[in-house]
Amino acid sequence: MSRLISLNHITKIEGHAKLVLGIKRGKVMRCELSAVEGSRYFEGLVRGRRYNEAHEITSRICGICSCAHVIAAISAVENALGYSPTEQTNDLRKLLTLGERIRSHATHLYFLALPDYLGYESALAMASRHKADLESALRMMKAGNNVIRTIGGRDLHPVSAAVGGWLKYPKKESLAILKKEIVEAKKDALKTCKLFFSLKYPKFDSGAEYFSLVDSKEYAVLEGKFTSQHTSFEKWQYKDFVNEYHEPRSTANFVVKGDHKYMVGALSRLNNNHAHLSRDAKKMLNLSRLKLPSTNPFHNNIAQAIETVHCMDKCIEILESLDIKNEPVEKLKAKESGGVGCIEVPRGTLWHEYSINAEGIITNANIITPTAQNLLSIQEDIRAFVQSAFDKPKKGIILGVEKLIRSYDPCFSCSAHFLEVEWT
Amino acid sequence: MEEKKLKVGFYGITGCAGCLLSVIFNEYELLDIVQLVDLKAFPFIKQVNIDDEFDYLFMEGLVADRNDLEELKRLRKNCRFLVALGACSCTGCVPAYRNYTLKENYEHLLYRKQAGVEDLKPTPIDEHVKVDYYIPGCPPDKKEIVAFIKSVAMGKQPRPYESPVCVECRMNGNQCLLDLGKPCLGPITAGGCNSVCTNGGFECWGCRGPTKDMNLGLMVKILKEKGFDDKFIQDRMRTFVGLKLPMLEEIFNVKINIP
Repeated sequence: MSRLISLNHITKIEGHAKLVLGIKRGKVMRCELSAVEGSRYFEGLVRGRRYNEAHEITSRICGICSCAHVIAAISAVENALGYSPTEQTNDLRKLLTLGERIRSHATHLYFLALPDYLGYESALAMASRHKADLESALRMMKAGNNVIRTIGGRDLHPVSAAVGGWLKYPKKESLAILKKEIVEAKKDALKTCKLFFSLKYPKFDSGAEYFSLVDSKEYAVLEGKFTSQHTSFEKWQYKDFVNEYHEPRSTANFVVKGDHKYMVGALSRLNNNHAHLSRDAKKMLNLSRLKLPSTNPFHNNIAQAIETVHCMDKCIEILESLDIKNEPVEKLKAKESGGVGCIEVPRGTLWHEYSINAEGIITNANIITPTAQNLLSIQEDIRAFVQSAFDKPKKGIILGVEKLIRSYDPCFSCSAHFLEVEWT
Repeated sequence: MEEKKLKVGFYGITGCAGCLLSVIFNEYELLDIVQLVDLKAFPFIKQVNIDDEFDYLFMEGLVADRNDLEELKRLRKNCRFLVALGACSCTGCVPAYRNYTLKENYEHLLYRKQAGVEDLKPTPIDEHVKVDYYIPGCPPDKKEIVAFIKSVAMGKQPRPYESPVCVECRMNGNQCLLDLGKPCLGPITAGGCNSVCTNGGFECWGCRGPTKDMNLGLMVKILKEKGFDDKFIQDRMRTFVGLKLPMLEEIFNVKINIP
């Protein structure tokens, strides 16, 4: 048994992971999922830096979620310094976050998840027989990339978002082009829904507590209370609710609420927020015949497909109402303070927390990524899944486990070929 | 024709996967590249990866622990040309900034020691193996990656961009951020990024590494005159490329002991 250690700080993971399953006489004796990425100590790197440098540094935690880290870091700093962004800034931040979700879901669905279901080694190998599907994926990724580049200035690690506002505003003409592209890409998103609804998902119930932000006004993005089927709390209360549980062999911490595992991500969001889906996304939800709430992690793929439609509708809605005014960046006065930023990002809820001193220097930081929150759930699900599948051939079980892990879309699904299973 | 295609692989060690994503985010052109070469390995998006005899191997990430080093050395043996892809690989990027932060800033995070995994000094890959080409940037310009692959596939020698960011920034008609009092490192930083950050109103942090003929002393002087203190200037300059600027120690008359 691992020791239970309460740590207040984590270092980030991304990329590589390993699973060790120990099975004896039909029982799973060992099931250890671990990230095996070199430590980068981001929370240490921002200590001693100015408050308006945190987002540029922490963005490097993750390539596919770089917008997420930028916005979460900025929100946390603004929260500390008592600043509320303008409506226009919020809209731009939402666009960045939604654009990132569109491209991330499209990449995950087609490049990481779909090959497992269609029996290919990679999306590239599908090119000859599923060219149209692959092109759909690329068009949606392109639409997402274009949102981020137009609004944030660069495809990855966006540059225009800043503490206190926006550094450079997009031109009206480029916003109009953007809208057109998203309208086009939405056809692909609708097709994606139908494709992913037609796949056969294993029957499995994790029974997990599912958490996401819930906002009374809309399908939560930047605001709301952190809510599950059982409980709900404000962002600033997170330290009382979220415990970090450190697995010695992994770079990531497993985070549990009380002593429960919980999950975050598209399926959690859909469970909690589906009433706020756009009209077409609701139609898709009906078409999917998905019964909500679902705690079958394989359904996360379905949730991502539906969310992609919703995110595009939401982007279109914002772009239609956006009338860019040249608001200067608000220069915030440093003071001794602390703040929490918590937003919904492609893989779930992301937390950033900073303490700042009177000179505006960061004295402490804490960052909890969605994957860190999901790790314990994934590991426990693998254990249960393997336990229930013993009658199946070994190869089938391994594929099932890989599908299960990828369905969570963890950041380390980045390495599709990561599963080393030790049968002992 | 098939056997004449270049055998290419894309790998990552410790990093954020952003450089590998930059390859994928070439959208339709991704399919062109795949046609142009014989893609042997890309574990990020491929299940079947044939791990030998690459002509060109693209490596994202930096060496942060023993596993990284072993993987890097193993792959170096398997390729004719090694391409450092992105800032972590080329300069160490943000993770190597740890070399310049106080140990007390991160020692509370060192719990990983329990697992017996050995951290190494975070370093770019050319401190450990021979690197044949560099595609710098955090992230690298995705079109630059395509241009690189296309040119080597046609047997042409890719050339690095040597002018500072300021050249492209001027051509893009941006107002000079230094003039506006921002700590922009454009004058000492290699361009080729189309000044993407300054186009977006954000000062250059130097992610593509120093130009060959930079005047670092003058850059420091200008920033001091603008009112930035010594610590800020050093921190900012070292965020992405600290290990490539050892001369800062002389300029500021400080000695930094990197273990």
